[in-house]
Amino acid sequence: MKLDPSFIWTALVELLSAVPTTLNVTMVSILFGTLIGTIVALIRIYRVPVLNPIASAYVTVIRGTPMLTHLLLIYYGLPMLVNGLSDSFGWSFRAASIPMIGFAYLSFSITSGAYLSEVVRSGMLAVNRGQIEAAYAVGMTTPQALRRIVLPQAFAVSLPNLTNALIGALHGSTLVFSLTVVDINAKAQIVASTNWKFFDAYLAAAILYWGLTVLIEQLSGLLEKRINVYNRGGVA
Amino acid sequence: MIKLQNITKSFGRLQVLKGIDLVVEKGEVVAILGPSGSGKTTLLRCINYLEKPSDGEITIDDFTVNCKRPSKKDIHTLRGKTAMVFQQYNLFRHKTALENVMEGLVVVQKVEKEEARRRSIELLEKVGLGNKLNAYPSQLSGGQQQRVGIARALALNPEVILFDEPTSALDPELVGEVLAVIRNIAKEGITMIIVTHEMGFAHDVANHVVFMDEGIIVEEGKPNDIFVSPKEERTKQFLKRITPEGVYSI
Repeated sequence: MKLDPSFIWTALVELLSAVPTTLNVTMVSILFGTLIGTIVALIRIYRVPVLNPIASAYVTVIRGTPMLTHLLLIYYGLPMLVNGLSDSFGWSFRAASIPMIGFAYLSFSITSGAYLSEVVRSGMLAVNRGQIEAAYAVGMTTPQALRRIVLPQAFAVSLPNLTNALIGALHGSTLVFSLTVVDINAKAQIVASTNWKFFDAYLAAAILYWGLTVLIEQLSGLLEKRINVYNRGGVA
Repeated sequence: MIKLQNITKSFGRLQVLKGIDLVVEKGEVVAILGPSGSGKTTLLRCINYLEKPSDGEITIDDFTVNCKRPSKKDIHTLRGKTAMVFQQYNLFRHKTALENVMEGLVVVQKVEKEEARRRSIELLEKVGLGNKLNAYPSQLSGGQQQRVGIARALALNPEVILFDEPTSALDPELVGEVLAVIRNIAKEGITMIIVTHEMGFAHDVANHVVFMDEGIIVEEGKPNDIFVSPKEERTKQFLKRITPEGVYSI
């Protein structure tokens, strides 16, 4: 078997049509994951009664099980739940009308939420206690102090870890092919199935993923540079 | 007027404040002195509820908080009447000097942005930092940071400014510039409570000196009462230990 550079190029161009799907799944899971993660982190840091043990259980269970398993459990479990609810309340809504990608959004958001809660939590713990005290001293409420003072600084501290999570989510999104959602990876398989040049097609996919990752790294680098205007900590 | 009645505070089994009564008149500059561990910083932090007193009553103006069961609103109101200058400055690290001073005005007091900016620039000029408006705390020296901290406190126009050892973290050569700023604002009749180890400064600037030890107020009075003719043995010992001979021969 010989490498076919022109086919790699053809495949690459064809794969571009699947980029939006991959980016959608990635961005949705990171956005909602960050939202879930922030809420979970706050619950755990403030040891909110009742919710705190639930949040801890969520983190250990989700981190303790594979992402693909979450996807399959949601895929098979959610319809049972939705249809069961529909039946008992007499709604006409059926699980069959949920688009496949919806399962991926939900499942991956839950997965990233657990990991991101630890990223956010460690970021918040890295913010000096004096910062929130100063916020209180100028008269802020706790939500104001968190929103205006603590979370922006926690975000800055967490940027390298958030970038990691984003890249992880980008690569993890390949699992959607098990739901017949056509992302970059699934598209590569489809492209190759016409001429059996699987290696070339997957190589094209690899190049594309790497390109997207470099893009994320560059953006994160720019952001970090901006943040470093004030945050000149560390060893260098 | 600020009135503290029977303030107590325990950390676990350790009682740090054992019933503090203190009255501070409007416009007074109070210096709180005492050895480390005497509870002076804890007392200061109780006044704006950064530390939760175990019991007692705090009155600022006509607003009283019962420390047994304060509501969130009580604490918020109390903090609205006070401002604090920290030992470690605690400037908001992700905000410029100007933004640090504006923050409380805009977010808490809902002052219009342009007005807040104008007032903040004025205050930063007053503390000698008119040329550092857009500098981040990490770009300022300790003395400059502390002066921003003072401007931030002044901006809130509080009933009282609480100073928690404002010069203890500074290099010796930077202490002077910060003390000079505090000296200046003391002349304007703003009520201030200062926890400090700067005896000379306390003597010059304060008009009410409080000496604390082991969670109680041992002695209080005019600066000369405390520095020149202290009555309590504990006060005499403390002053002898930390003041070089001859400094207070007035």
